[in-house]
Amino acid sequence: MTNVLTINQLTYKHNLKTILNDIDLTLETGKIVGLLGENGAGKTTLMRLITGSAKGAGTITVCGDSVTAHHKGHVSFTEQLRGFKSNTRVDRVANFYRLVYPDFDGQRFEELVTFLQIDTSLKLGALSKGMKEKVVIALTLARQTQLYLLDEPFSGIDSMSRKKIISSIIKWKPADATMVISDHYVSEIAPILDEVVIVKDQTIYAHKASDAIREEFGIGIEAYYESLYEGGVSHD
Amino acid sequence: MKFDDKVPIYYQIKNYLYHEMMTGQLKPGDKLPAVRQLAVDLTVNVNTVQRALGEMITENILESKRGKGNFVTTDEQRITQLKEHLVMEQLERVYEQLHALNLTDEQIIDSLKRFIAQRGQQDD
Repeated sequence: MTNVLTINQLTYKHNLKTILNDIDLTLETGKIVGLLGENGAGKTTLMRLITGSAKGAGTITVCGDSVTAHHKGHVSFTEQLRGFKSNTRVDRVANFYRLVYPDFDGQRFEELVTFLQIDTSLKLGALSKGMKEKVVIALTLARQTQLYLLDEPFSGIDSMSRKKIISSIIKWKPADATMVISDHYVSEIAPILDEVVIVKDQTIYAHKASDAIREEFGIGIEAYYESLYEGGVSHD
Repeated sequence: MKFDDKVPIYYQIKNYLYHEMMTGQLKPGDKLPAVRQLAVDLTVNVNTVQRALGEMITENILESKRGKGNFVTTDEQRITQLKEHLVMEQLERVYEQLHALNLTDEQIIDSLKRFIAQRGQQDD
């Protein structure tokens, strides 16, 4: 099994405050990985470091390439479309993606749009929160890459949209690609996770296979995740 | 399908498929849905489905035909064995719990008979 992502001794500071301290992380190809941690633990920061949008100390290798400037080409990240005006139509955004990313697959995008029931003639400003998240997911999964980073794709959206998004992840994730999904609410996605990575105390606090957690401890992913926090409190 | 998050998912997928076979939803010789389709239907990871099917192939419950997919075994004896195994697994749990209540083997059999008699009346 080869590795799609290798992080060595990564440290990131923002305004003299350490967000991530000396972290190491290796992810294999073909996995769905849950990136768990409290709000502000550094999950989004870690994703932005992987794509090269943020710069820290240490090395990050994506698909064997350690040149940060190349990472955006290897990684499909759920951009929140803030760069587009609210009167931009969804199909215009897709056209932009097609121009910018050579790996953007128009056929896949059409399939995803149909499955997620997206009306691409709508303007971004007219989309509900759930619909906007579906658009972001369709754009992200339409790229054919080795590594997908989904930053809290389920926050604040209704359960039907959530189920649709989870199904589209299972359906469209290429077999050899790895997908990292960050969330602070675990139970709904727990059955689809191969592994969990828990960010806590500025570091990778735990990295374990989901079924190994269930087998070793006889508890669910959510209970395990919470136990790490409770354990942390009692040590203080 | 609803999963118990405390139990390994691959194990629950196996039990689900065993159940489908025992109730005749999946008959001997039937072709299973493609791995990704099963994953979508059950809302689980493709790798986890693969692990479950892999174990069932090793157990000779499923037969993998190259390029064609996975099929339920046509070996009736193997299916009978599986049923026996599933029944014993359930009884094991009940037996242990009743033993923990200090029941003797005879008392367990008597209780089970009384239970079935009462249960039969309820169902009528």
